[in-house]
Amino acid sequence: MDWSAVNVSLILAAWTTLALLPLGLTLARWLAVTRWVGRPFIEALLLLPLLLPPTVIGFYFLVAFGQGSSLGAWLAQSLGWRLVFTMEGLLLVSVLVNLPFMVQPIQRAFAAVPHSLREAAWVSGLSGWQTFWRIELPLAWPGLLAGMALTVAHTLGEFGVVLMVGGNIAGETRTLSVSLYDKVQGMELQSAHVMALALVGVSLLALTLVLAFDRVGQRGRALQER
Amino acid sequence: MSGLQVQLRSSSPIRLAAEFDCGAGELVALVGPSGSGKTSMLRAIAGLWTPPDLQGHIRVAGQDWLNTAAGVLRTPQERRAGLVFQHYALFPHMTAQANVALAAGPDWSAADVQALLSRLGLAALAGRRPAQLSGGQQQRVALARALVRVMPGPQAVASQALAGVLLLDEPFSAVDAPTRQTLYRELAALRQKVPVPMVLVTHDLAEARRLADRVVIVDAGQTLQTGEPARVFASPRNARVAELVGIQNHFAGRFFKDRPGWGRLCWAGSGPSDAGIALSVVDKNKIDNDTRVTWVLNGEQVDVLADGAALDVAEAGATRLRCRLAEVLPLGEISLCTLVPQGLPDQRITLNLTTRVLDRLQVSAGAWVQLLIAPGALHIMPVREVNG
Repeated sequence: MDWSAVNVSLILAAWTTLALLPLGLTLARWLAVTRWVGRPFIEALLLLPLLLPPTVIGFYFLVAFGQGSSLGAWLAQSLGWRLVFTMEGLLLVSVLVNLPFMVQPIQRAFAAVPHSLREAAWVSGLSGWQTFWRIELPLAWPGLLAGMALTVAHTLGEFGVVLMVGGNIAGETRTLSVSLYDKVQGMELQSAHVMALALVGVSLLALTLVLAFDRVGQRGRALQER
Repeated sequence: MSGLQVQLRSSSPIRLAAEFDCGAGELVALVGPSGSGKTSMLRAIAGLWTPPDLQGHIRVAGQDWLNTAAGVLRTPQERRAGLVFQHYALFPHMTAQANVALAAGPDWSAADVQALLSRLGLAALAGRRPAQLSGGQQQRVALARALVRVMPGPQAVASQALAGVLLLDEPFSAVDAPTRQTLYRELAALRQKVPVPMVLVTHDLAEARRLADRVVIVDAGQTLQTGEPARVFASPRNARVAELVGIQNHFAGRFFKDRPGWGRLCWAGSGPSDAGIALSVVDKNKIDNDTRVTWVLNGEQVDVLADGAALDVAEAGATRLRCRLAEVLPLGEISLCTLVPQGLPDQRITLNLTTRVLDRLQVSAGAWVQLLIAPGALHIMPVREVNG
């Protein structure tokens, strides 16, 4: 077992989820209630990482932030930020490709809160913010947990983008899935088996949690409609 | 100025022309078919529905909640509207107590909320979530949540006046009949204690008649007629109102002026050879001579006599009408009788006669009877040429 790779993967998953939660929550709540005509376009943009090959995202990332790009050069000179082959860059791209996994379940959860409950809160004297914190969020939390579980599982399993953006630096950007690739290349099948099994286990656990949260949410909705 | 005054006008997305008021302690029912706009009017009062082209005002206890001329538009939070939603819209993740406490202002302590729940028979259920309550219990929690918005709490300063309205959106439609009877009684009792304007939206005429001090008949976004239920049901302003309040016997005819104070209503069938029948009516000087009218026969003021029976005392101006009893449908104590007037074979009068009357007359389907129609049983309306 490559424990440094496990460490990198866990750190990446934790930071990705933490960074994505406020962003995803904001986007998801807005998409759930907006009647703006441009909504389908924004939704398509957010779903794009699901369809695009990771190499396309990785390629554009390198084009945008590589040393050859003016943006990359400026970031490196003025802020000292290097985004290619670093943990910071990996985190940024990870947030981007995980957007659909975080936003979708939360959006569905907010959309399932009946609008009459918002109206009931307003006529009861609650402001928009109070309605969000006291009514909507407590009803949508299974969607939040599902989004977080999916993001963790997907970050642990991400491979293509990680390799292109992060490279393969041990202890820095070499994640579990990249390490597994290395082991297979090096014919270290015993280690490969252990890591593959660990990834299968984590993903299965995450999906089970997602489905369990979904059922909690559905039961809540069924009770509301009774 | 106390009470609620509403005057609203808009043309999109739905056409709206509403004008009614509701005094403090009064219960006014907005009655109309589905999609007539009555719920939109209620939502406009609560501040939940404000189309961009809305014109008019909503005034509660002298305060403007909406006044487009003065540029006043209060948010739902700034209005004190206690709204009971059709499906209650209770917060499913909160207990009954928390649902009510959420809407209660600082002048309500937790103990006060509990006391209110007790008064509504919910003392033992305060800790339950909505899903653990029956429909009638949920309705009462929704009512309590609305009440704390319009009633000053027990901790309030004595001078604080009631400045809210209670709005009820078809609140009895989702409960079974026995529960509904109980809730009717509770609403009646509540009115004694909470003297705020109460507006009830319903499509149920019997409910409106039973609960409301006044009814407002709503159709296609317009308030057509306002008045005491008995008055509106007996004297609909026009044929559409008559249709909406479910009056069976409405007919076409022509009104002529007769001797002073009296008019003549010519009831003609659709057949060209039909002679037509003249009925004596009271001339209230509201309708011009030789006017096309719609008229309504109030069956409760019609006497049925045996064919050929002589009249002892004829009421002044009463018209005798010979009819054939075409059909008798017994419905328990009452029989639904269809009568065809002599000379007008295509016209039908529907009367609800008690079995006792039919026994006394000893008649069955096919027999002839006489109707004695007092002028007061006839209500005449000019034909309305709008709305189309």
